Amino acid sequence: MTSTTFSIEMKLTEIGTAAKGTNPREVIVAIAPAFGKEMNKTIVKVDHASVLREILSGIEEQGAVPRVIRSLRTADLAFMAHGAAQMSGSGISIGLQSRGTIVIHQRDLDPLSNLELFPQSPLITLEMYREIGRNAAMYAIGESPNPVLVVNDEMTRPKYQAAAALLYLKECQSLVPDQKPVELKAEFLIKD
Amino acid sequence: MAAKILAGVDIGNSSTEVAIASVEGDHAHFLSQHLVRTTGIKGTTDNVKGIRLALQEAAKKAAIELKDIDLIRLNDAVPVIGDLAMDLISETIITESSMIGHNPDTPGGAGLGVGTTVLIDQLLDVEEKERGYIAVIPKPFDYEWVAHRLNQAESDGISVTGAIVQKDDGVLIHNRLNKKIPIVDEVSLIEKVPLLKLAAIEVALPGHVIRTLSNPYGLSTVFQLDPDQTIQIALVAKALVGNRSAVVIRTPQGEVVERKIEAGRVILIGSKNQQLEVSINDGAEAIMNMYEKLEELVDVQGETGTNVGGMFNGLRHDLAELTGQALNEIKISDFLAVDAVIPTSISGSMAGELSMESGVALASMVKTDKVPVQRVARLLEKEVGIAVEIGGVEAEMAILGALTTPGTRKPIVIIDMGGGSTDAAMMNEAGKIISSHLAGAGDMVTMLINSELALGDKELAEKIKKYPLGKVLSIFHMQLEDGTILFSEAPFPPDTFGKVVIREEKDLTPLSNKASMEKIREIRRSAKRRVFVTNALRALKRVVPTGNLKRLSFVVMVGGSALDFEIPQMLTEELGKYGIVAGFANIRGTEGPRNAVATGLVLSSVRQEVLK
Repeated sequence: MTSTTFSIEMKLTEIGTAAKGTNPREVIVAIAPAFGKEMNKTIVKVDHASVLREILSGIEEQGAVPRVIRSLRTADLAFMAHGAAQMSGSGISIGLQSRGTIVIHQRDLDPLSNLELFPQSPLITLEMYREIGRNAAMYAIGESPNPVLVVNDEMTRPKYQAAAALLYLKECQSLVPDQKPVELKAEFLIKD
Repeated sequence: MAAKILAGVDIGNSSTEVAIASVEGDHAHFLSQHLVRTTGIKGTTDNVKGIRLALQEAAKKAAIELKDIDLIRLNDAVPVIGDLAMDLISETIITESSMIGHNPDTPGGAGLGVGTTVLIDQLLDVEEKERGYIAVIPKPFDYEWVAHRLNQAESDGISVTGAIVQKDDGVLIHNRLNKKIPIVDEVSLIEKVPLLKLAAIEVALPGHVIRTLSNPYGLSTVFQLDPDQTIQIALVAKALVGNRSAVVIRTPQGEVVERKIEAGRVILIGSKNQQLEVSINDGAEAIMNMYEKLEELVDVQGETGTNVGGMFNGLRHDLAELTGQALNEIKISDFLAVDAVIPTSISGSMAGELSMESGVALASMVKTDKVPVQRVARLLEKEVGIAVEIGGVEAEMAILGALTTPGTRKPIVIIDMGGGSTDAAMMNEAGKIISSHLAGAGDMVTMLINSELALGDKELAEKIKKYPLGKVLSIFHMQLEDGTILFSEAPFPPDTFGKVVIREEKDLTPLSNKASMEKIREIRRSAKRRVFVTNALRALKRVVPTGNLKRLSFVVMVGGSALDFEIPQMLTEELGKYGIVAGFANIRGTEGPRNAVATGLVLSSVRQEVLK
């Protein structure tokens, strides 16, 4: 069975309010309010299940420990990730929006600063999501990875800007004001 | 007698320096100095632009008008031009793929496994279950499924001893196994792995290196080799030394060869038809020793049709283009050979393995026709409307300037370490000057750093040469080269996080290279030592009448490379062995190693007036 012949199902179970982590090897992945719930595909229709699995695989391969939380009070990428970085035992976090936009953040940085940012979500491939997970894990264990290559295509803007705005608005409908992030248990089932 | 305002202008390969002084009788009072980048190639009329700018700035500093200057003195640039070349002299070739020795960041598991290679989807169909198998897992297979398969094989009683994976999945698979096995991943050309052959796989714990497969007798034990075969396979073991993981596959014909490229011979031609030959393969030291046996070098040639022939031809071609002379008129007046290590990818490898091959770097230099400084002088005169005259030879001017360093006296030797050449000059008690120009200086150091760190970026290599390193440990901490920790008031920029950085005066440049700070430092220092220490000794032997360094007392370093943060110390240490007082100049007690020639140009005219 090769990776093209099966489908991945994701089960996200809420297990209470997310607490500050103590494990220095942990990397928190903060997903947006609607990720894998009201919305289940990115802007280029890649399953959220595959995206999250690649990120978590990348983190695990480097020997770090992934933890998934859902941000509820904000869908803003920078603030989701920055908030998660404060809770991460290593100080490293990944922020991930439903449309696929992703960032690697660090505790001591300003919210709008970051370690690596991938703003053009339509261009991010599953391999890149794996590499982003890998890099985040390497930052967490104190290594210095080369940044993941950011692809740039000036046509993505005119082509996807409207869709991106709509997806963000849709995401914002799942916001719960003043609600703290919740801890999630992510399980993946592989089916033929 | 009224005071005259004099300006000395020194056009160097990379910078143009100006000194302005007010001269009254035989006394010169220095008002100001300035330094700009040289515009255009040294000695061409393009220089005028830079000179004007430098003069204006210096005049401003001295609080005078440009037109107040009575006389400008230009240096007579030394008519030598240098160039660099580098090539391999050895090469490792895998004739049939039989070994994978590479360092993926994250192999899975640890230990040694021996077995027959088999594709993962055929694993469950094998007949002899107890034989020991190594699973070969190409890209399309997902780690979850692979782990499931391997676990199933184990419960079926098939003995799996290791796995070779194409993707970066080693740890992921390992974490999901019931029985742990060593796994080597990121083998990019996995389709080249021969199937159904006996193979051995070894993975060491983090921070350790493999021990069995990097030992010829370990390999002979694993594969039950006879002594002759062990000799053959020794090169495989050698190539695997220092790796964290490796796979060796026994194929009947497979072998690894280290081939010495016939790099050719250097032919040194001396005066009186003297001719000496030395093979490049003997290394830089043998070449330089042979060179010393020659009284005077007239020309150097490389054996035609070999690497070295190509190198010298390339040099000749470049130099002919630079000087505008015909190709056959170019005579190499000096050269410096330095051993270099060049990382090269092994031909026939499966995972992009690199091997450190040995090579030789050459710097050479030719004498050219007189550089047309007169043209520069005339144009400058026309543009600024001030009388311009050409002062003495560069070396003499530099000595006059260097003598303004407190604590020096004649006899004195200067070593002018620039970008393209290392020049030395000696002045005896009577004021007689001998000078010598040698190939190889700062640019050669840059080339060595660039190639030995496999940077492929000259500007970056230049920065590594010029500035010390640090490693950013956290957003506020940086470890320096000597091990001390620096605490920063302001946070370091995020792109430097966890990286080795070049500590420029204001900025930090992060290096994407994986090499450790210690390794980079060692390469940087050794490149400087190989070029500058070798050349300083060579230069001194040339200018000291008897060639005996013990007779020297004062050696003063000037020029751009004397500003380097460690080269002067290296030379001070090295020359200290001969009882020589060596250090970098402090021109006029204030300027450091800069401005020697410009200062000398002003002073030499003072002496002329005294003589009148």
